[in-house]
Amino acid sequence: MTMLLAVRDLTTTFETADGVARAVDGVSFDLAEGETLALVGESGSGKTVTALSILRLIPEPAGRIAPGSRIEFAGRDLLSLSPRELREVRGAEIAMIFQEPMTSLNPVLTVGTQIAETVLAHEAASKREARERALDMLRLVGIADAESRLKSYPHELSGGMRQRVMIAIALVCRPRILIADEPTTALDVTIQAQILDLLTDLKRRLGMAMILITHNLGIAAGIADRVAVMYGGRIVEVAPTVDLYREPAHPYTDGLLRAAPRLDGPDRPTPSIPGSVPPATDWPSGCRFHPRCQYAWERCQSEPPLLEAGPARTARCWLVDEPARRKP
Amino acid sequence: MSRLRLGITLVSLLAIVAIIAPLIAPYDPTVQLDLATLRNAAPSFAHPLGTDLYSRDLLSRLLYGARISLLIGLLAVAISVSVGTSVGLVAGFSGGVIDIVLMRIVDAGLAIPKIFILLVVLALWEDVTVAVLIGILGFTGWFGVSRIARAEVLSAREREYVAAARALGAGPIRLIARHILPNIAAPIIVAATLGVGQVILVEAGLSYLGVGVPPPQPSWGNIIRDGQDLIRTAPWISTTAGLAIVLTVVAFSILGDGVRELLDPRER
Repeated sequence: MTMLLAVRDLTTTFETADGVARAVDGVSFDLAEGETLALVGESGSGKTVTALSILRLIPEPAGRIAPGSRIEFAGRDLLSLSPRELREVRGAEIAMIFQEPMTSLNPVLTVGTQIAETVLAHEAASKREARERALDMLRLVGIADAESRLKSYPHELSGGMRQRVMIAIALVCRPRILIADEPTTALDVTIQAQILDLLTDLKRRLGMAMILITHNLGIAAGIADRVAVMYGGRIVEVAPTVDLYREPAHPYTDGLLRAAPRLDGPDRPTPSIPGSVPPATDWPSGCRFHPRCQYAWERCQSEPPLLEAGPARTARCWLVDEPARRKP
Repeated sequence: MSRLRLGITLVSLLAIVAIIAPLIAPYDPTVQLDLATLRNAAPSFAHPLGTDLYSRDLLSRLLYGARISLLIGLLAVAISVSVGTSVGLVAGFSGGVIDIVLMRIVDAGLAIPKIFILLVVLALWEDVTVAVLIGILGFTGWFGVSRIARAEVLSAREREYVAAARALGAGPIRLIARHILPNIAAPIIVAATLGVGQVILVEAGLSYLGVGVPPPQPSWGNIIRDGQDLIRTAPWISTTAGLAIVLTVVAFSILGDGVRELLDPRER
């Protein structure tokens, strides 16, 4: 497999009133051509900051990507690009869609104009061509009566339609990677399923890779090839989706899976992980999860590296070394 | 009738009067008709609003005065809104040192009473013409607009659709032109509409003080000035011009409020 995107030791920090927040702290992962990788974790685990760092959208100077971090896209070092080169990558090579379709569209421009804008920003297309492309895209994302919808304003559309429009805007230049940040969180459950189906379908048809950011393991299970679980600004476990769900290697992943309510499970209160994610200005020493971990012992005072936990999977937990301790 | 309609109607009437003044004015506004017999003549059929000290027809002067007042109001506001919006956009969008420097200049501009600046500049300026007046009023009137524009930019640039557009590769010019400017236009349009009335008021004040529109060109301000010594014997001279000013300022206020209602979604 050729690696389309390689992230190495990505560390993104923010100056805050409480000190320096290491929102993303030494994250490494790869994304292969055509692959879907889910970044999963609770709020504050660093998923979104990781995505924003890839596109260099971290608000400077408060936020900053630490030296030593590397992000390579198709052999190019994204961290050394000029602002102009970056703009050429954003939207054309790597596109991103956001959580809130309500606020991610410009209220005063028509849907057609907004899709065409992205084309005009990246290609030497005429306005007429850009409009044709916008129409094609609206049809592609499954909007009925696309011709007349081109002239609609965002407030005339439902939430699901708006997210379809966002997807159309993001994909009109046929990027090689789509980063979807909680693309369905703001939508009704039935619409969520439609949007996820659409993303899966488009990904296959357009042959792009996707990074899906979600806190919902159910969504990740539905469409991801691999899952990377983030906690405390670090990746704590990476595994092929099926393996991860069958046998989570990290106690945090295990906790997340147990915390997901199930319709077909036994009738019992949903167990939750005690405590909450610590603030990024004050990560615990040693394993960042150990204060919340039911298995924690002395060894967890020093932080484990990502250990080989099976074929094509790694986990940042000493239990991988000492599986006997997992027994309650 | 909604405020917007009333405002549009009143302002349109004023605009029409100003445009067709040469067609409906019975006399040339600057011609002294007959100094011997027509000084301070009371209203009559020949001169519906009477004549002034120099035997000029007052109705004609008032109609031509509308032309000059509206011209000055509109063009000066066009200048101040363009300058103010540009400064506000640059300050709000760049932030940092540029923002601080520009806004301190604006603070200074707002701190000095404008009428003093205008009086000093106009008193020292030789040969004040209407064009000079427009320029001076325009380039001293943009401070408030730039504040409004900057404040709007600061909130508009944090909107998610701006972040989304940036994530899809929009550069600064595209972000400003397509995503920020259209979304901050409403309060600026409102400020501009209200500003026209204010500029007309200032122009009238300056002309009244004798540093505005140069005689013999008619302006509502200098008509009031011409009439003030005769306020007991020929009160119609100052009062008609005064009423014209009041009507105009009120008309633009109503229009401004109407536009605000139209553009502000919360008022819908």
